[in-house]
Amino acid sequence: MLDPQQLEAKFYELSRTFHPDFYQTKSTAEQSISLGNAAVLNTAYRTLRDPIQRAEYLLGLEAGSVKDIRTSPPADLFEEILELQDTLDEYRASDRESDESRRLHTTLQTEQERLEQHKQEMETQLHRLFSDWDALQDAGEATADARVKRDQLLKQMRNLLSNRTYVNNIVNDLTATIA
Amino acid sequence: MAYSDKVVDHFNNPRNMGSFKKDEEGVGTGMVGAPECGDVMKLQIKVQNDTIVDAKFKTFGCGSAIASSSLATEWLKGKTIEEAQKIKNTDIVQELNLPPVKIHCSVLAEDAIKAALSDYQKKTDSPQADGK
Repeated sequence: MLDPQQLEAKFYELSRTFHPDFYQTKSTAEQSISLGNAAVLNTAYRTLRDPIQRAEYLLGLEAGSVKDIRTSPPADLFEEILELQDTLDEYRASDRESDESRRLHTTLQTEQERLEQHKQEMETQLHRLFSDWDALQDAGEATADARVKRDQLLKQMRNLLSNRTYVNNIVNDLTATIA
Repeated sequence: MAYSDKVVDHFNNPRNMGSFKKDEEGVGTGMVGAPECGDVMKLQIKVQNDTIVDAKFKTFGCGSAIASSSLATEWLKGKTIEEAQKIKNTDIVQELNLPPVKIHCSVLAEDAIKAALSDYQKKTDSPQADGK
């Protein structure tokens, strides 16, 4: 299981080992090695700390090993996004002083809040997926069952990240328009 | 990076924007997305006697994605199902003069065409959707 506190402690420990400051009196070769190590360590820490980045990295690693990691598009979400896009267009074309415009603004604001909440839920869900993933890694079983479970988890992560991109885009558009 | 004149034209005057009712007879709906950039594309065809009589699209994405789907609907009208199957993303790239970084937009449009065609075929193949 990836323990955030342990991750942080380990990061600081290794930072002290690799930090370029401690190599200032050493040879250029050693300095450049320490700099390289420190950079890798920073990236690794940032990646593991953030579930979104961790999932992206993991999926990149596993892209070749999982068959059909890409799944069918979420039709309901797409309908929702396209509908919202229409409402956004209506709002953009409306006279800001009119009642209709104010009504649209309220609708869009409600949608924005709902989608922000949806984003939060997706992050919670990603945390949950990683708990399952870590548990599976800890169990270390090479059974067919474990393999299926593993692929399922990766697929769910892939879906989640994709949906997050779609939601992010429309939220950004909403924010920019009604701000 | 500058958009080609044709992309700008389709972007400013998109053809066939809108949608049909999904359950309308002869309508096939294709819904596709690009998870990398978050573009969403919906493309619909209306088929009578094996010929596409009308096509509509709705796209949420960049100018090239909008232009690609707009062009796709223009090309689809009047084509038979079989002819429509043959539309390739490279045709769209050529017509719109898309730069390499925007080729995925044309792929998305081709995927949308394929999805709409297969949705139509699935609807007509299943007995309860026949309606006659």
